[in-house]
Amino acid sequence: MGNDKKRQILILDDEPIVSKRLKPALEKAGYEVEAFTQSTKAMKRVQEKEFDIVITDLKMEGIDGMEFLTEVKKRSDKAEVIVITGFATMETAKESFQKGVFDFVAKPFKRAELLEIVRKAEEKVRLKEAQMKE
Amino acid sequence: MGVLERLKKTIFPGRQRSGEVTFLELFKTFQNILEKNNKILEVIAGMGDKLGGEYVFDKQYIISSCREVGELVRDLIYDLNIIAQKKYLDLYDAFERIHHDIEEELAGRPVISEGSYVIPLEEIPRDSSDMVGGKMANLGEIVNILGLASSPGFVITTAAFKAFMEYNNIWDRIREQPLDEKSAEEIYRLICDGSVPGEIQNDLQSCVDRLADKVGRYNLFFAVRSSARGEDSLHSFAGQFKSYLNEPVQNLTQCYKEVVASGYSPSALAYRREKEIGEDEVAMAVGCQLMVQAEASGVLYTMDPTAPAREIAVIEAIWGLGAPLVSGEAAGDHYLVSRIPPHEVEAFNVRLKTSMLIPKEGGGTETVPVPEELRTCPCIAAEHIRRLVELALVIERYFKKPQDIEWALDRDGQFVILQSRPLNIQAQVASLVCDLSTVGEGHRIIFRDKGSIAQRGIGAGTVWFIRSDEDMENFPAGAILVSKRTSPRLARVVPKASGILTDVGSPTGHMATIAREFRVPTIVNTGVATSLLEPGQEITVDAEQNVVYEGRVKELCYYEFTEEPFEESDEYRLLLRVLKKIAPLNLVNPHERNFAPEGCKTYHDITRFVHEKAVAHLIHREYHGKEPDAPARRLKLNIPIGLLLIDIGGGIDAAAGSGDLQPEQVTSVPLRAILEGMTHPGMWSTEPMSVDLGSFMSSLTRTFSSQLATPKYLGQNLAVVSQQYMNLSLRLGYHFNMVDAYISENINDNYAYFRFLGGVTELLRRERRVRLLAEILEQNDFRVDVTGDLVVGRIKKLDVSGMIEKMKVLGHLVAFTRQLDVQMIDDDKVNGAIAMFNKLAAGNLLPESKGRSNGQR
Repeated sequence: MGNDKKRQILILDDEPIVSKRLKPALEKAGYEVEAFTQSTKAMKRVQEKEFDIVITDLKMEGIDGMEFLTEVKKRSDKAEVIVITGFATMETAKESFQKGVFDFVAKPFKRAELLEIVRKAEEKVRLKEAQMKE
Repeated sequence: MGVLERLKKTIFPGRQRSGEVTFLELFKTFQNILEKNNKILEVIAGMGDKLGGEYVFDKQYIISSCREVGELVRDLIYDLNIIAQKKYLDLYDAFERIHHDIEEELAGRPVISEGSYVIPLEEIPRDSSDMVGGKMANLGEIVNILGLASSPGFVITTAAFKAFMEYNNIWDRIREQPLDEKSAEEIYRLICDGSVPGEIQNDLQSCVDRLADKVGRYNLFFAVRSSARGEDSLHSFAGQFKSYLNEPVQNLTQCYKEVVASGYSPSALAYRREKEIGEDEVAMAVGCQLMVQAEASGVLYTMDPTAPAREIAVIEAIWGLGAPLVSGEAAGDHYLVSRIPPHEVEAFNVRLKTSMLIPKEGGGTETVPVPEELRTCPCIAAEHIRRLVELALVIERYFKKPQDIEWALDRDGQFVILQSRPLNIQAQVASLVCDLSTVGEGHRIIFRDKGSIAQRGIGAGTVWFIRSDEDMENFPAGAILVSKRTSPRLARVVPKASGILTDVGSPTGHMATIAREFRVPTIVNTGVATSLLEPGQEITVDAEQNVVYEGRVKELCYYEFTEEPFEESDEYRLLLRVLKKIAPLNLVNPHERNFAPEGCKTYHDITRFVHEKAVAHLIHREYHGKEPDAPARRLKLNIPIGLLLIDIGGGIDAAAGSGDLQPEQVTSVPLRAILEGMTHPGMWSTEPMSVDLGSFMSSLTRTFSSQLATPKYLGQNLAVVSQQYMNLSLRLGYHFNMVDAYISENINDNYAYFRFLGGVTELLRRERRVRLLAEILEQNDFRVDVTGDLVVGRIKKLDVSGMIEKMKVLGHLVAFTRQLDVQMIDDDKVNGAIAMFNKLAAGNLLPESKGRSNGQR
């Protein structure tokens, strides 16, 4: 982890338990994490700050997931998005969000699984940063 | 599964009697039942797994799982009624009852069972704070799950509170206007002058009588304490409510009312305002426990709230009853004890103790002078201190939070836990945990990401290997239990362990269930634990991130204290509550009276009932005359089993004529393999065997006598087969075995399912037999689920030769356990039997050793 700057992660899920269980695990793995249960607040936050990785559910009140995803991508060239969603809505999610999603994870999932995906996403972010510098 | 599809292709042209289904239709429905049965048990096991903490799930998952199981169970009832021609429509009523309760739970309206007005301490169910209040719920878990001592007694529940308030029209009075100090005072009076409904009085009296019989004394004196819903968990309510000491039986009802009334004291009211607790949320249960004849009493903090980093527990102790210490009137001896085994006393301060509070003859308490010789004496001896801290840490590990414990030392030198609540040290600990990502730096990682987490959490301690029963006996409290395999045998020491690591094992096995029961951080199937760890080595098991560190990683342990334990989250508790209506198995014995639709209390009960009846109908029908559409034929074997065979396509050699069949005429792959296992030399113990085996067996069992092999039983043994498929139902002696398997070239379709139900021996022996089965199945890579005396083993997706090997093991097991019907004398016998089984299976115990039969055909 010996990076001078921690990677920034945003979690958005309207069920508080998801952030509650994920945030400590990601913090222990050396990331800085901001968690949201309201999409409008998360939306506002991504307009203020650039995140490296965004973990989001899709069933939202108020803001449509597509809109949020587009905003994240628009604000940042390097950000990667991981979609977590219930088993039932997995297929729909995959159909509508093929574009710009790093990976899909079905709930319930193991914390270790998600950490692994985050690590891979981080790797991709790092590569993109390197390319931008060139 | 695909089996059904394939079966449908084989249609028997059969004569159909009016109103009856053909055998094949019947069997197809039976197959449906079996398939749903498996699916139900799988979903239930999956829900159980989620309690381990490795998964992130939300409420939606709980809702959809409950509905999934519900729909399957409803279909199952429908299928059974096809087979049994609508004989079991009552099951729908049982289903509706359970379904309704689950839906209520999901809607956030916990079901408080009406009429449970008074519950004995030893019967307080887990996670029942809604019913018995926070304080008594904690105590219930300490006594009933952790097995620690408290004083005997009972709790007058929140259901009684509701009934009391309604009976005296007090609710209406409270709802009339917002409570202020003046109206609260009126409520207080109304409660004290109210009358306790007759039903509650009766329940109370019968609990008192039972208690008196139990302790053999009729002149009982009680401590009566509040146990409000939410007290001791989210909000301490410390000191808000009244409590009474040493009250004679005849005062119980008055004390009860006074304690309830104290919920409406001005300070309790103000407290609720501040914490934004609604008046309609108030529910007061009241704990009544026998007075402890306390030599000394005190308080213990498992951590020093002023300096958590010091790794010490703090004990305060005084002579007599603890009330003056708790209320702050008296100061006691002060001990600082290391949290790390062997719990050395690091510092102590023995104060001069001049007076003490003791129970008064005839009721109440009095303050008396401390005898001269005790005034400057420490209240607890050095050897007692260690034991007290060990007990306290068992409680802390379970609740996953530092604890504030009230205890007493009785005249027999036994510690009694009076209450335990979380100690709030959030702020102090948070400052210790600066940057989480650096936690563990400076600690060598011994291994990481090996195996599966069966129960989350952090545990630090010294490694203790368990290789023998002796190792188990000597297990030091607070150590990390390391063993090669998971074993149900280890259950006894699990509560004492800070963590558990095994080389082999399944996160859904019996052991995992026990680890979850006691919330001990557990990683199973690591493959490396016993080879990479040394006995006596200090390690930290991080069963959150799946890492094992060398040394004690203090920050990790502290960090866990700052998190809200997953076990306290709403989702966990909801899952636990709905599982109570889904998973337990109450219908144990088909011969008992409760084995009926109205005896079904859970979805599992219904599933079990349906399965049992479906098999009975299939067999019964077979037994009462040969079906023209599917002739059953007897199979000639060299073991007395009386097996009938129904072929539904390619299971019997086409060239076989009519009449009895020879084993070599069986072409069904799974049946051939299981028969080979069953007739393996020594397993059925009918042929001559070596002396040591014979004597061992006779020391262990009363062999299944030939008188039991009546035609009634013989008719119970039926195999329905095709070339790839087998469904075998066996009733041997008192057990019932069922094996269902499919073996083909397509690896993904292959599976074997083994189900064992014990018979009518006493519970303990049944349990031993279950342990033996579970252990042998786990050794052979089966996924094992144990509920009561039902053992289910599953395995799937092996290639043909792999599946054949497993079928042989099942054959061995069927034959072997048939001999173990009655006399499982002690735990050593179980281990001996397992060893014997393995020797037999390996062909090492034969007089005229025929060597191993090689199954790779």
